[in-house]
Amino acid sequence: MELAAFDLPTFLRGATQEVFDTMLSMELSEQASQDLCDTNRIVGSVSLAGKISGTINIHVTDPFAHQITANMLGMELDEIDSDEEVHDVIGELSNMIGGDLKSRLCDAGFTCELSIPSITSGKDFCIESRGWAVNERVYFQYQEHIALIEAFIKNGG
Amino acid sequence: MGLKILTVDDSKTIRMIVKKAFRPYDVQIVEGENGVEGLALAAKEKPDLIILDITMPVMNGAEMLAKMKEEPDLKNIPVIMLTAEAGKDNVMRIVQLGVKDYMVKPFKGEQLIERVTNIMPLTEKKADAPAEEGGGSKYFSLDGDIQMLAVPAKILRPTIVEVETQLKPKLKEMTSGGIKKMILDLTKIKETNVSLIKLIITILDNSQMAGVKVLTVAGATLGKELKDFQETGNIPIHFSVDDAKAAF
Repeated sequence: MELAAFDLPTFLRGATQEVFDTMLSMELSEQASQDLCDTNRIVGSVSLAGKISGTINIHVTDPFAHQITANMLGMELDEIDSDEEVHDVIGELSNMIGGDLKSRLCDAGFTCELSIPSITSGKDFCIESRGWAVNERVYFQYQEHIALIEAFIKNGG
Repeated sequence: MGLKILTVDDSKTIRMIVKKAFRPYDVQIVEGENGVEGLALAAKEKPDLIILDITMPVMNGAEMLAKMKEEPDLKNIPVIMLTAEAGKDNVMRIVQLGVKDYMVKPFKGEQLIERVTNIMPLTEKKADAPAEEGGGSKYFSLDGDIQMLAVPAKILRPTIVEVETQLKPKLKEMTSGGIKKMILDLTKIKETNVSLIKLIITILDNSQMAGVKVLTVAGATLGKELKDFQETGNIPIHFSVDDAKAAF
């Protein structure tokens, strides 16, 4: 199977919606693309390395990250003690979405390993996609909140 | 004496979800952040079960499990592996490690409890014992032949889980003791939310199935708000506990 034939769009959407539904009881709806570069946000990232290499990022705005944390941990928003809790939850979300994608890739013959999640937070930054064999960006909405899930994959490490 | 369960995960989030899942049960949770900590805690605490993540820094779950299998004192402790990867190769690898079971993330707390009860029985915390962190039993009290269920002012997810978990055994206890009346006291609640509506519906449905008549008491504002929800619009609301008692 060629990497270009891997159905990244379907798997990425499916993994994201399942994780949000199961862990957070949040039903996401897909949205048109938006410019989040200037928005204060938290990005959870995991990397893939092996027969393919790649990265999966989940961008959520600060208020959405707090709402996600509250839902995941069964708390009220004002009970969230620190950024550490929020970062851990967003990291875990990226691990779950990345883990699902990694499994699909391995089952399709693209054996790879998944990294431990990392977190970036702030504003005035964009992530550009260059030199990847397949890539996908999907914007989701939950109530007034926006999330961007993106995956970039190429052959070899 | 309850069970001791060791959860080993680098994610505090997952450890909190595991702790929350076991909160209604007579279980002591011990936590480790990686395989090295997990091994040390397993040797010290001798848990009845280990819930072990695979991908962790310092020492991963597979390495920790391999080391446990070399230790006569630890090799027979049942292990449930947690993994974010459901791929065939990964599952085969986990099975070959000699675990009792595995769970793929994302998962719900109830699913974890189901897996654990396949391995060992869990005992619910005693209904009348004072529970930690707002155990559901403190919401129930008996007033003559009427069971009172007083919902706290702030509805948090753990509270809902605790009340729901306590509800079925409480209803069973009531019906076997001939108690057929319950007052659902919502007077402390100041505003509605979806969680509250779901909790009310759960209480009413379960009570109806158990043959227990429930009368609901709420303040005027909350009573009006409940009328506006399709799910609760038809529920008769009493404005004081005395009114409800008189209505029985």
